[in-house]
Amino acid sequence: MTNRRDFLRVTGAVGAGLVLGLHLDAKSKAGTAQFRPNAFLALRPDGTVCISVPKTEMGQGVRTSLPLIVAEELDLDWSRIEVVTALPGPEFKAMQTGGSTSVSSTWTPLRKAGAAAREMLKAAAAAQWNIGVDQCRTENGFVLGPRGRKLSYGHLAQAAAKQPVPKDPMLKQPADYRLLGKRTPRFDGPAIVTGKAVFGLDVRRPGQRFAAVLRCPVPGGQPRAWDETKGLAVQGVKAVVKVPTGLAVVADSTWAAFKGREALATSTTWDEGVGKDFSTLALEAKMRAALMGPADEARRVGDAEKALAAATNVLEAEYAFPYQAHATVEPMNATVHIQGEGVETWTGSQSPNEVQERTAAAVGLKTEQSKVNVTLLGGGFGRRLGTDFSTEAALVAKAAGGGPIQVVWDREDDFRHDLHHPATLHRMRAGLDGSGAISAWAHRIAGPSILRSWMGGQKSPDQTSAEAGGALDIPYAIPAITVDFAEVEAPTPLGWLRAVEIVPNVFARECFLDEVAHATGKDPLQLRLDLLGDQDIVKFGQDEADLRRLKKVLQVATGKAGWGRKLTAGRGLGLACHAYDCRTYVAQVAEVSVVKGRLRIHKVTCAVDCGLVVNPWGLEAQVEGGIAFGLSALFTQITWEQGRTVQTGFQDFPILRLPDMPAVEIHVVLSREAPSGMGEPPVPLAIPAVLNAIFAATGKRIRRVPLDGESLT
Amino acid sequence: MPTYQLTVNGRLRHVDAEPDTPLLWILRDALGLTGTKFGCGQGVCGSCTIHLDGQAVKSCQTRLKDVAEHTIITVEGLSKDGSHPIQKAWLAEDVAQCGYCQPGMIMTAAALLKHKAHPTDGDIDGAFAGHICRCGTYPRIRKAVKRAAGGAK
Repeated sequence: MTNRRDFLRVTGAVGAGLVLGLHLDAKSKAGTAQFRPNAFLALRPDGTVCISVPKTEMGQGVRTSLPLIVAEELDLDWSRIEVVTALPGPEFKAMQTGGSTSVSSTWTPLRKAGAAAREMLKAAAAAQWNIGVDQCRTENGFVLGPRGRKLSYGHLAQAAAKQPVPKDPMLKQPADYRLLGKRTPRFDGPAIVTGKAVFGLDVRRPGQRFAAVLRCPVPGGQPRAWDETKGLAVQGVKAVVKVPTGLAVVADSTWAAFKGREALATSTTWDEGVGKDFSTLALEAKMRAALMGPADEARRVGDAEKALAAATNVLEAEYAFPYQAHATVEPMNATVHIQGEGVETWTGSQSPNEVQERTAAAVGLKTEQSKVNVTLLGGGFGRRLGTDFSTEAALVAKAAGGGPIQVVWDREDDFRHDLHHPATLHRMRAGLDGSGAISAWAHRIAGPSILRSWMGGQKSPDQTSAEAGGALDIPYAIPAITVDFAEVEAPTPLGWLRAVEIVPNVFARECFLDEVAHATGKDPLQLRLDLLGDQDIVKFGQDEADLRRLKKVLQVATGKAGWGRKLTAGRGLGLACHAYDCRTYVAQVAEVSVVKGRLRIHKVTCAVDCGLVVNPWGLEAQVEGGIAFGLSALFTQITWEQGRTVQTGFQDFPILRLPDMPAVEIHVVLSREAPSGMGEPPVPLAIPAVLNAIFAATGKRIRRVPLDGESLT
Repeated sequence: MPTYQLTVNGRLRHVDAEPDTPLLWILRDALGLTGTKFGCGQGVCGSCTIHLDGQAVKSCQTRLKDVAEHTIITVEGLSKDGSHPIQKAWLAEDVAQCGYCQPGMIMTAAALLKHKAHPTDGDIDGAFAGHICRCGTYPRIRKAVKRAAGGAK
């Protein structure tokens, strides 16, 4: 809980205008003696306003949406706002950016900060005019008084800083919003279109050198023998140094580092380590065995095994989802400068606080001696929650000595040494009673645990629920349900990929439900509505989903897509829905055609309820992009042979491109609930909606991703 | 190392580098023009697209020795102040998400409009087939190109 007394405070030096520090770290202990603001709002005497954003910008728009929330309550002039990304440290401890939580976690404190500043400005103006505060109002950077009186925020900033900070300022009603709910363009747009935006790879420091690390193609392998003179012989190469992840070639340009590494590779032999025999085929055999063996229970309603045994009919199917890569277009990189008793890092990270700590630890310094500058991210999608690349860069900088070094991964490094999303197999069973109603539902997930890999090989108490999201929170009212996870070991490092386990789990769940609908002669929409029943709320442990909101998005998406209309031969509609994390409600209808074995995805109609919409343009971007991200996984996979990835670049990992992008039609269900989150929720439905549409078009049931072109002919 | 003379964004530049160095790295590391991005180094993602004598080319696949005496324009040189119709259309449609692939997209879009003032959907498909945007900004790219063209004809 946030300590209320310390939630907001004037923190600026005298003469700085009105500077408010506010506390956004929900996890911090109440009652700490010292005020530790972790976000700042500064109204300067010159009328400009600086807002520090304690979250990472990776395309989801936080450098626009979070300032908008403050600006709304404070009635700021949006054109005079300056946005800075916060520096991690004692003031900013909760910068980790993931799980679609940036807006929901800052919504209330940012509004209160804006409202508090507004009240202080009004109080300052009222004192100056010698009138009551209730005679003042604010508009677009000014306090307005009776008879046309008007003072700018800049003019009032100093006096406002001397006013008491209101503890519980009145918040605006949504009906009075001027900025929230209106389309606001991305703050970083102008810098991006002119090439001025600075991503990690664009960092240039005086005296900077560049390095590429020669890593074993098998993750975890080590160089056994090498001849550094081969690397040093390349023009521009300055040094070859051993680091824990391999051999770093340090040069005066990126290209020289790459060429030097290529030359060094010819002389290097490897000890490939414990992962050297790992293969997709062997893993799949182990996962298939685990579908029938013991497992950890994630959810249990009634006795599904008993109900299955008693069922008139049992449907059973196996679904498969492969390893995936993040494949951010900007490869991993970090620039590190060790100087005396300090280390400074420039990198695009979703975990700035962890970078600060781990970089310091890697070079033998204390956290407070470590400074981290978070650049823009050329894609995050969870990959940059990892700190492997920044720690590696720190170790290269330490081993090489001298000035700043930028460690650059190339495309193959990025594919081979990703923190991949692991493969899973799913055993789905549904028991049907004599009337064709579902009497039992069993979803067994088998695969490696992302959370265990993340925890350094330790099993967390949250492991089962972390791997079963999207399966355990199946919203349908079925009398007996069992969802469990059977862990299978894999030697490769794993990480979080946008929407994580919910992607494969919802794929299996929503496609198998479609199978049940067709097997029992029911319309897939009607079956879902029937299974959602008359209940308003369904609980999953601490979480609860509002089934009214889910039913509404189902009705809107299907209504707008023309569900049930007659289609020409070879054309079909497919449906999927979910209550993402019990927070954001999404339904999607895909329209596809399959002609002579060729699939075309014409359109995806998406209805969403994510609570109040901060920036519709941001929401729509996340839906369009989330659908593109989800659809890519219908075609991409990472496979392993002899411990290494078979895929090494975009040429064998066919991410969806512009010509294949379907039309996306978005319908927002208006809501007065607090905003929830939009980065991940649209992703998991794209695959099941399309595969269900393929079934409708062709009668072919696809249960395996990636889609094999031959399966449609 | 040999010295090469290049004309980049209207300025004459001298570069000492190996003849087979990809133009991408000359721009980024030698000339400090980091608006041109490294995505794959294999010519398959389009992030490094620049204009060479008015044509959109992938600078990671273009060797230094082949571009001397030619005219090179990067995203930094597309306009002085972001006023190129494509840049304006990009902002009007709020295209960018993370923004990393966008300079390459913008250079391809500008070259497309130069050669075809009113591109069809098929023309747009063809021009952007060599690009990857992992954020999925494709619908807005299409809209922005059409906006800059004053609508498809």
